[in-house]
Amino acid sequence: MSTAMNFGTKNFQPRPPDKGSFPLDHFGECKSFKEKFMKCLRDNNFENALCRNESKEYLECRMERQLMAQEPLEKLGFGDLIDGKAEAKNKF
Amino acid sequence: MGGLWHPEWRRLAFCSWRWSHPESPARAAERVQPFLRPGRNGTGRAERGLTRLGTWERPGLARDPAVQPPRRPKSTNPFTRAQEEDWRRRNKTVLTYVAAAAVGMLGASYAAVPFYRLYCQITGLGGSAVAGHASDQIENMVPVKDRIIKVTFNADVHASLQWNFRPQQTEIYVVPGETALAFYKAKNPSDKPIIGISTYNVVPFEAGQYFNKIQCFCFEEQRLNPQEEVDMPVFFYIDPEFAEDPRMVNVDLITLSYTFFEAKEGHKLSLPGYK
Repeated sequence: MSTAMNFGTKNFQPRPPDKGSFPLDHFGECKSFKEKFMKCLRDNNFENALCRNESKEYLECRMERQLMAQEPLEKLGFGDLIDGKAEAKNKF
Repeated sequence: MGGLWHPEWRRLAFCSWRWSHPESPARAAERVQPFLRPGRNGTGRAERGLTRLGTWERPGLARDPAVQPPRRPKSTNPFTRAQEEDWRRRNKTVLTYVAAAAVGMLGASYAAVPFYRLYCQITGLGGSAVAGHASDQIENMVPVKDRIIKVTFNADVHASLQWNFRPQQTEIYVVPGETALAFYKAKNPSDKPIIGISTYNVVPFEAGQYFNKIQCFCFEEQRLNPQEEVDMPVFFYIDPEFAEDPRMVNVDLITLSYTFFEAKEGHKLSLPGYK
C-alpha cells in the first residue's frame, strides 16, 4: 500500500462505518447465532441471499444483549424479512 | 537641482526608485508645469515654462503639497479637453470598481473556509457533500438480483501485533442493495492484554466507493484479554448504483482487506526473539 511508484494513482480513502463500531462480544453471548449463520453459509455455498434470516437473528441477539445499538430492522435492510414473518404469522 | 526635487514628489513614496532615478527633464517639466503657470492658455505658455525649467530657475509660486497636480490634458483643443477629462474620470471610476471587485473576490475566497464549515455544521452533512448514505437509503434500496458479486476477505496483522487474526469465510456472494454479514476471528495468544486498532482496504479502488459498511470493528481500539478469542462481525452492503456504473461492468470480485495494528498506550512492545 505504501510502496513507491504509487504517486499518480488515487489513494484509497477508508470511510468510517455508518453506525460506528461493534463492541466486542467478549463473553461469546451470540456465538451460537454466529455458528448457525456460518453453517448456513457453508451449506449454501456462501451465498448471502439464502442466509439472511440467520444474519438477522444474529443482529437481533446483539441488540438484545446491548452489543449493538437498537435499530428497527428495516433500517438494516431486513424489511422484506419482517414482512415475510408477519405474513407467515397471519396465515396461521 | 532644486527644481527636480519638488516636495510633491515625496508623496509618491511608493515609487521610491525615483529618488535615485530622476526623470528626464521633459516629463519632469510636465509635472512641474501647473505650478509654473496658473492659467492654461495654449502652447506658448508651455514652451516658456519648459525654458524656465531648463535654466533651473526655481518656480516662485506657492507650492501646496496637499494638492495633487491635475494631469495635463493631452489635447489642446478646449472642446475635446472637457471630453478627455470626462473620460479620465470615468476610467478612474471603472478602475476603482474593478479593483474593488478583485479585492472582494480575494476576501470572499478567504471567507469561504469558515462559511463552509458553518454550513456543514448547520446542515449536518459533516464534510461529505454526498447525501444518501443515510439509513433511509438502506431502508428503501432494492437489491439488484441479477448482478452477483463475489466478496473475498483478507486479514493482515502488523508485525508487532501478536494476534491471530483471520476471516471466518473466504468469500461470500452478494448482490448490490442487499445487506450482508461476515465474520473475522481474532485471538490473543499472549498472556498480556493487547489493544489493537484496524483499518481496511477495498480492491478495486473504484469499487471501494460503493462499498458501504454499516457497522464493523475498524478505527476503534479493541482490547483483547490474554488467551481471549472473539468474533468480529462486519455488516456491509454494496450500493445499488454499482450496477449502473459503466466503469464497474467488469467488476465481479471485490476484496475486503483488514489490517490490525497495535495501539500503544503505555504498553510495552515485546520484540521478537527477546524473551
